[in-house]
Amino acid sequence: MGVTCVCQVPIAEGKSVQQTVDVLQKKLEQLGSVKQGSFCVDCETYHATGNVVGQPSKLLYVMHNSETPLSCMALFEGGPYLVADANFDVLMSKLKSHFQNAKGHKVESRGSRYRYCDFLIKVGTVTMSSSARGISVEVEYCPCVVPGDCWNLMKEFMQSFLGTSVPELPSVFAAKPEGLFAAADCVDTMTQYLELFNKLRKLQIPGSNVR
Amino acid sequence: MEAPPVTVMPVTGGAINMMEYLLQGSVLDQALESLLHRLRGLCDNMEPETFTDHELVYLLKGQQGNPFILRARRSLSHPTSPWHLRYLGQPEVGDKSRHALVRNCVDVAASQSLPEFLNEMGFRMDHEFVASGHIFRKGAMKVVVSKVSRILVPGNTENTERMSLSYLVELSILAPAGQDTVSEDMRSFAEQLKPLIHLEKIDPSKQRH
Repeated sequence: MGVTCVCQVPIAEGKSVQQTVDVLQKKLEQLGSVKQGSFCVDCETYHATGNVVGQPSKLLYVMHNSETPLSCMALFEGGPYLVADANFDVLMSKLKSHFQNAKGHKVESRGSRYRYCDFLIKVGTVTMSSSARGISVEVEYCPCVVPGDCWNLMKEFMQSFLGTSVPELPSVFAAKPEGLFAAADCVDTMTQYLELFNKLRKLQIPGSNVR
Repeated sequence: MEAPPVTVMPVTGGAINMMEYLLQGSVLDQALESLLHRLRGLCDNMEPETFTDHELVYLLKGQQGNPFILRARRSLSHPTSPWHLRYLGQPEVGDKSRHALVRNCVDVAASQSLPEFLNEMGFRMDHEFVASGHIFRKGAMKVVVSKVSRILVPGNTENTERMSLSYLVELSILAPAGQDTVSEDMRSFAEQLKPLIHLEKIDPSKQRH
């Protein structure tokens, strides 16, 4: 578990989502990356049902990452988080009268996993209700857990295949009380995916009737 | 608990329904040593394991029906271990001749942020206590002998007061739904502990509140 950066890659002009993903994967292979299986990150949304009228319903996000298959992460946006084992999903199904699963809101990112020396790169297609909404790229620098010590290296690496789409330092690291020198953990990765998924969820697909 | 029983079943969300089979009894403090001696002889050969756990019981009040209860337990002797969150369903009403109390059980290991997270979900702590004692294993069976202590100042686990002059003894097995033969094994084990202790099926819903 190293330092990860999750960013969105815009779809290339005149190309489809799949074509843009293919272009990225080709660039990675040309760099010398080796494909090592596939990955999946998904996010389910639950609404709290017993709320006082007038107050917005709290949203609970339950996320899974194939990199940590026995774990489950639950987050309240901007609030407390929980890292639990896979049985947490069973517990959520027991809680269905208090927390309803918004089934149409499940978002997932699936794609191939590449390894380049000490980096792990995951290029995924983000889908919601089987329609592709965008592309996510996750870059992990495995040997280091302190973002402040390796951000410059990660940025330089990302420039080699993302070109101008290189993101800024993820806000999740800067927002911590100890700043960039606090150890990164799996919750930071999932918070970044959640931000990306929420951004893509709000995007309107041209020509389709999206609520 | 220090270590919940390990099952060889693969865990996939929602696919496995685990049931807890339970028999309970108690012994006065004076009889503890004899009971521990008997258990050391009957149970698997392992280093005697003691534990000190802090358990918090959380309630989530819904619009109707009974509140949803969750038990969060952490080890005071291993403070960095994960929290153990447990949901116990209603006891299965069925075969009166079934020897043990059977109820649905969901065990989740959770990170240190559990109490804060449960509060955010809407759960409120109803009561808490400290349980300390000994744990024994015989195959899949777990025997826990514990002294339950009341916490005098909320959140302060140093300052506790023993609730009784006896130890609570619980014999339990976690098994997938439908494996009723385990209650036979439990009954024959309980026979071997008589007359030191009488372990029986005690229905929690029949306790006075």
